[in-house]
Amino acid sequence: MARAAVLAVLLTSVAGCTSNAFTRLGMPKPITTQGKVTLNLWQGSWITAFAVGALVWGLIICTVIFYHKRSDDLPPQVRYNLPIEVLYTVVPFIMVAVLFYFTARDENYIDKLSAHPNVVVNVTGFQWSWEFQYPDLGNVQVVGHPVDVSRLASYSGPQLVLPVGETVRFNLTSPDVIHSFWVPAFLFKRDVVPGHPNHFQITTTTTGTFAGRCSELCGLYHSEMLFTVRVVSKQQFQQYIAIQQAAQKAQAGSVQ
Amino acid sequence: MKVEGFLFLLCAVFFAVVDAVYWFTSYDPTGTTALGIAVGLAFLSGFYLLFTGRRLPRTRPEDNPDADISAGTGEIGFFSPHSWWPLFTGLSAALAAFGLAVGWWLFLIGMLAVLLSSIGFVFEYYRGLYAH
Amino acid sequence: MTTTQQPVPGIEETPPPARKGSIIAAWASSTDHKVIGHMYLITSFFFFLAAGLMAMIIRAQLLRPDQHLVSDQQYNELFTMHGTIMLLLFATPLFVGFANELVPLQIGSPDVAFPRLNLFSYYLFLFGGLILLFSFLAPGGAASFGWYAYSPLTSAVYSPGIGGDMWIMGLVLSGFGTILGGVNFVTTIFCMRAPGMTMFRMPIFTWNILLTSMLVLLAFPVLAAALLVLEIDRKLGARVFDAADGGAILWQHLFWFFGHPEVYIVALPFFGIITEVLPVFARKPLFGYKSLVGATIAIAGLSMTVWAHHMFTTGAVLLPFFSFMTFLIAVPTGVKFFNWVGTIWRGQLTFETSMLFALGFLVTFLFGGLTGVILASPPLDFAVSDSYFVVAHFHYVLFGTVVFAMFAGFYFWWPKMTGKMLNEKLGKWHFWTLFFGFHGTFLVQHWLGVEGMPRRYATYPANAGFTGLNEISSISSFVLGASTLFFLWNVYITSRHGEKVTVDDPWGFGNSLEWATSCPPPRHNFTRIPRIRSERPAFDLHHPHVRAGRPVQPAGATRPAVE
Repeated sequence: MARAAVLAVLLTSVAGCTSNAFTRLGMPKPITTQGKVTLNLWQGSWITAFAVGALVWGLIICTVIFYHKRSDDLPPQVRYNLPIEVLYTVVPFIMVAVLFYFTARDENYIDKLSAHPNVVVNVTGFQWSWEFQYPDLGNVQVVGHPVDVSRLASYSGPQLVLPVGETVRFNLTSPDVIHSFWVPAFLFKRDVVPGHPNHFQITTTTTGTFAGRCSELCGLYHSEMLFTVRVVSKQQFQQYIAIQQAAQKAQAGSVQ
Repeated sequence: MKVEGFLFLLCAVFFAVVDAVYWFTSYDPTGTTALGIAVGLAFLSGFYLLFTGRRLPRTRPEDNPDADISAGTGEIGFFSPHSWWPLFTGLSAALAAFGLAVGWWLFLIGMLAVLLSSIGFVFEYYRGLYAH
Repeated sequence: MTTTQQPVPGIEETPPPARKGSIIAAWASSTDHKVIGHMYLITSFFFFLAAGLMAMIIRAQLLRPDQHLVSDQQYNELFTMHGTIMLLLFATPLFVGFANELVPLQIGSPDVAFPRLNLFSYYLFLFGGLILLFSFLAPGGAASFGWYAYSPLTSAVYSPGIGGDMWIMGLVLSGFGTILGGVNFVTTIFCMRAPGMTMFRMPIFTWNILLTSMLVLLAFPVLAAALLVLEIDRKLGARVFDAADGGAILWQHLFWFFGHPEVYIVALPFFGIITEVLPVFARKPLFGYKSLVGATIAIAGLSMTVWAHHMFTTGAVLLPFFSFMTFLIAVPTGVKFFNWVGTIWRGQLTFETSMLFALGFLVTFLFGGLTGVILASPPLDFAVSDSYFVVAHFHYVLFGTVVFAMFAGFYFWWPKMTGKMLNEKLGKWHFWTLFFGFHGTFLVQHWLGVEGMPRRYATYPANAGFTGLNEISSISSFVLGASTLFFLWNVYITSRHGEKVTVDDPWGFGNSLEWATSCPPPRHNFTRIPRIRSERPAFDLHHPHVRAGRPVQPAGATRPAVE
């Protein structure tokens, strides 16, 4: 219990620090509420990990410094010490139990799906780009094309536009092989598995343009299967949808 | 053979418990089957060791903490001095495996070679000089 | 006075060196576990060099952004084969090689239970590995679907070409070799121990080989079955791994049911090597023998129940179950760690190359273990899975265990295997360049992954912000690669000019039975076996005045020895 208290204190103090790449230990700044939960868990887990590491590395280094050979006498030929052995079995067990508790709690929050998300996006990952569709918003669609490798330097892939401060539900499907939908700024990814549709939900908190990458080997141009996520204000999002709907209507009309 | 047998049986029991927990929490047929088969293997091995171990002397020299090396005098077994049959059988198996990738003609040739070389391997010390 | 030499009765002449051909023939038909062990070690090391070269090409490609040293297709082939070879044609056969060299010696037996089967297993490995290597020459190139071969990418539709089939069949062949090796070692350890060598007096290395062999028996048949079914899918049009019927997730379950025990199969024997080396150079017995055995059994058992932590991001597995089991495995691993530290604590340490590598393992594996605990948490795994964070993690645990312990074992047992000592000075150059090269390469990759660089990417754009760390990683990797040259040079000059070892135990404080016979041992290992009354019979033989329970330093010691 004392351990949990210490952890909680450290967590809150770390969270209160000015957030930068070092305090986030390399993680991108989260742009979703779920991402913030992940970040807290990340920081707390690393504090524990570094503490354990410092202890064990410290023991090793101390041994190397203080117990190098000083004479030809044999040291005490100690074979076991039951109390210490029990201690270093039980304490790690308690530590992982605590870690598991926080993990289970945060996992439930991150995986939660609500009945009525504000925006629904159908994501189709295919070899080797992405299609985003808004089924409740007139089936507005953004389709990417597999990129020519030589143009990679200037390529960022299809763009998914989302409103800030809203819940967004993603439905992931694939017609071919396994892909994975990863937006580092979400601190989250979910595989896109043919034959096994996946769903997850986020609540956006920050505007901006963020990178997205396929993160499951899917064949030749896996490295070029990029996309971006642009989070904009609610009005800008409405405008975007309206423009897209109009453009699609015009295209449909011109085809006829 | 008690330690050896119980080592496998302990694993069998552990896998069985975990398997039951896994099935009732996940209802995943794949993992449950895989773990179930693992239970089977561990149980089979453990049971076999305990069962045949009963036919051995209660305490073999290697299980006796106060045994002298002289307790193990006598013939330990037959150790093949050298043999070319593993190479032939290995080459045959490779031919058959490669044949599965390349085409049926090679696979059949390979299986024929496997058959012939396995027979040679098994009967190596029952033929010729070693016939009895 | 005549200058012809008269033969002196009683002194034998050294026999004339055998012709090269007859040595090759002798080895190719040998049923001596020591010779077969040499063949395994040499062949695995050759595969290590081959896959290492592939890694150098990969790192050269990633040195700069937007580079195209190799095409995307070639890059995918390179990392697929690098992973496959390192895990299945280097680390796994390497453990079989060490087991072959040492287990019969450590238990006081004249050979393994099935000597010809032993040689046959070697050939299955050799030919399976050659089929895999030759797949680079296939018309469509080698397999390029990653070493874990996810379906449906591996189907005939998405990966046509014989390269994939050769990958599959090569692994089936070498997998069978490993299974037969496992059978051999379990039987040997159960049935061929010397009198007095009870199960709880066996060296920990032998215990670890036993448990590893049990894992092999449990895991490799699943791989072989899955691979054969995949081949049937590809060749005969079966639909077992069809995506529409859940085949994608089915493959992952089957593969990782093998794949996770596999990483413990390649870890446990090398933990065993470390456990052999540390007591010798600390001049103390192993600390906590029984709890080490218990911890290893726990690790082996638990390793069969955690497989789907490789599948957290699929959304198709029971997260809490696998997360909890994975967290649990950290406990016995921690116990082993503390036992190792307890072994060297208050010892009289000397820092020969072998000991340096053992200490290097401790320092490295610790960090890999910590990142593993991080990855055991699904929310954190969602963030960093399939990124360079995972690449860094598994290189820390795999390289840290397999390679560091391999070299610790080589420097330690070279005199036993060959009768000569490797050069210490070259060994220290080898260690330090390898150590700094390794950490420079892989430490920064943790940060890269967390920042957002996915794994298996052939290139990255300049504006992604990944350039600096990739440069550090690549340049360090060239240092790491170069460090191997020190070792190869050492092996060469030792074979040419190395001083012959004349004693049974050149290190002075060897514990297990192999140090109670000559360097190298005779054909059937022992001309006489010492009495076995503890877990360190060779030490008891060479230091009979030391008895556990009696203090060995003068009166006034602050802490009496504990039995």
